Amino acid sequence: MTGAVGGARPTKPRTWWKTVVVLAVIAGITVWSSIAIGVDVSAIAENAHNAANTLIQLMQPDYSFFPQTLPALLQTVQMAIIATAVSVAIALPVSFWASRATNPNSVALGIVRFIMNVVRSVPDLLYASLFVTVVGTGALSGIFALVLFNLGILVKLVSEALDGLDRGGQEAALASGASWFKANRQAMLPEVAPVYISQAIYVLELNIRASTVIGLVGAGGLGMLIDQVRTFYQYHYLSLIILEILVIVVLLELLSSFARRRLIK
Amino acid sequence: MNQNGAGIRFEHVGVTYPNGYSGLRDVDLAIAPGEMVAVVGLSGAGKSTLVRTINGLVPITSGEITVGDVGLHGLHGARLRRLRSEVGMVFQSFNLAKRTTVLNNVLMGRLHGTSAWRTLLAAWRKDDIELAMRALERVEIVQKAYANASELSGGQQQRVAIARALAQRPKVILADEPTASLDPPTSHVVMRDLQRINAELGITVVVNLHFLDLARRYGQRLIGLRAGEIVYDGQGTDADESVFEAIYGRSLTAEDVLPSQPVELS
Ligand SMILES: Nc1ncnc2c1ncn2[C@@H]1O[C@H](COP(=O)(O)OP(=O)(O)O)[C@@H](O)[C@H]1O
Ligand SMILES: [Mg+2]
Repeated sequence: MTGAVGGARPTKPRTWWKTVVVLAVIAGITVWSSIAIGVDVSAIAENAHNAANTLIQLMQPDYSFFPQTLPALLQTVQMAIIATAVSVAIALPVSFWASRATNPNSVALGIVRFIMNVVRSVPDLLYASLFVTVVGTGALSGIFALVLFNLGILVKLVSEALDGLDRGGQEAALASGASWFKANRQAMLPEVAPVYISQAIYVLELNIRASTVIGLVGAGGLGMLIDQVRTFYQYHYLSLIILEILVIVVLLELLSSFARRRLIK
Repeated sequence: MNQNGAGIRFEHVGVTYPNGYSGLRDVDLAIAPGEMVAVVGLSGAGKSTLVRTINGLVPITSGEITVGDVGLHGLHGARLRRLRSEVGMVFQSFNLAKRTTVLNNVLMGRLHGTSAWRTLLAAWRKDDIELAMRALERVEIVQKAYANASELSGGQQQRVAIARALAQRPKVILADEPTASLDPPTSHVVMRDLQRINAELGITVVVNLHFLDLARRYGQRLIGLRAGEIVYDGQGTDADESVFEAIYGRSLTAEDVLPSQPVELS
C-alpha cells in the first residue's frame, strides 16, 4: 500500500450518538402515548374468556351463509372497480399538473399540490360518513368516498414518479419546439405508464379492502353486511365474509403481480 | 447558396446564469448557412451554454443572436417554439424516451406541427410517419423502427436521436458532445452521419466536441472556447500546438486524441 497521496485519511465521523438520541425520543413518545391513552393490559386478560369464545366462532365459517353474501360481495367489487376507473382517469392529468417535472408553472403547481394534500389528509372513513350524510346510505356514497381517497393516493404516487423520471426525452421534445403538453404526452407518459398502471392495480386492491370498512358507516357493500352480522354476534357469518375478502385480495394480488411483470420488463 | 441551411450570428452575446456565474462573455460569431462548425474547449468552458443559446434552451442576458432572420433576445411562447422547430438538437446522453418505440421517438421531431388532440391520441399524419421513416433510413436504422428505444446500443440510440432531429426538417442541427458517451469506432460513425447530413442536405451543423482530433477531422471550421470566451476561430487544419495551449491551457497529450480510425458500418 502506498499512502499519503493527497494528505492524511479522514477519521470516520462519529454518528452513534444521533442514533441513540433518535431511539430515545421514539421510546419516550411511545410511553407517553400509552399513558395518555390509558392502555390497560389487565382488561385484555379479563376479556380472555369472551375473546376465546369469539375466536372459536371465527374459526368456523358458516358456508351456508354464502348465497346471502353474494349481492353485497358483488356490490363491493363493483364499487371498487367503478371508483378505481373514475379516479384513475382523473388522476392522470392531475398528476402531470402536480409534478415539478411536468408543470413549469410554479403557481399552478403550488395550488394543485395544496388541494391534493388536503384531499389526502382526510381518511376514507370520514369521506364515507360525509357522503352518507349528504348523498344518503348506499353504494353511491361509497364510490364518491373511494374516488377522493384514491385521488389522494394516486396523484401523490404518480406525480412523485414523474418527479423522479429521466427528463431527457422531454428536453429533446421541448428543444424541437413542442409545447409542454405535447412534450409530456410524447416523452413523459410512456416513461411513467408502468408506474401508473401498477399503482392503479394497487388502488383497486386497496378499494376492495376499504370498501368493506366504509360499509360500516353505511356506504354500501360487504361492510354494511359486516355491520349487520356483528350487531347480532354472528361471528361464523363474519368469518365467512372475512374469508371472502381474503380470497378476493389474494386473487387481485396475483393478478397485479402478473400484470406488473408483463409491464415492467 | 444553399437554401436548406440557416446562418447564425452572435453579436456581443453574454449569458449570466441566475446564480451570477458568467457562462458566455461578449461572444461574436458568424456562421454561414450550410457550414459545419466544431466547438472545442475544456469541460466547463461554456460549449453547452453556447449551443443551447442558439435554440433558446439557455436565455441570453445581453447581446443578440440571429438564426436565419429571427432574433432570439426575449423570444418566447409560440415564436420561440417556431424557431426551435427549425433547429434540431442532438444530446450527449441521447435523450430518448426509453420505454417507447424508436418511431415514436423520431416522431417527437414532428410535434411542433401536430395538433394537441392528434398528439394526445397519437393519431399521427401519414406524411409525418413517412418523414420519420425516411429520417431513420438516412441514418441506416429503419429496421429498428418498432423496437423499444431501450433495446438499442448507445451508437444506435444516438443515430435515432439524429433521425429525430432530421425529422424536424431543420435548418440547423446542434450537437452537444454527441460522441461523449460512445466508444471510438461508434463516435466516428455518428460524426460521419452528421457530416453527411451537412454535405447532402446543406443543413448548418454546430457540434461541440471534447476531442480535438475529432473536431479537426469533421469540422471545416474550429472554434476554441475558454472560460466563456472565444479564443480561437479558424480552419481546423491551421490549429497548431500554440492554438491548443490557448484553448486547453496546456500542451497536447495522448489523452486528448481519440485513438481509433473510422470503421465501416456493419
Ligand atoms: N444552469 C446553470 N447555472 C449556473 N451555472 C451554470 C449552469 N449551467 C452551466 N453553468 C456553468 O457555466 C459554465 C459553462 O458550462 P457548460 O456550458 O456546461 O460548459 P461545457 O459544456 O463546456 O462543459 C460551467 O462553469 C458551469 O458550471
Ligand atoms: Mg457540456
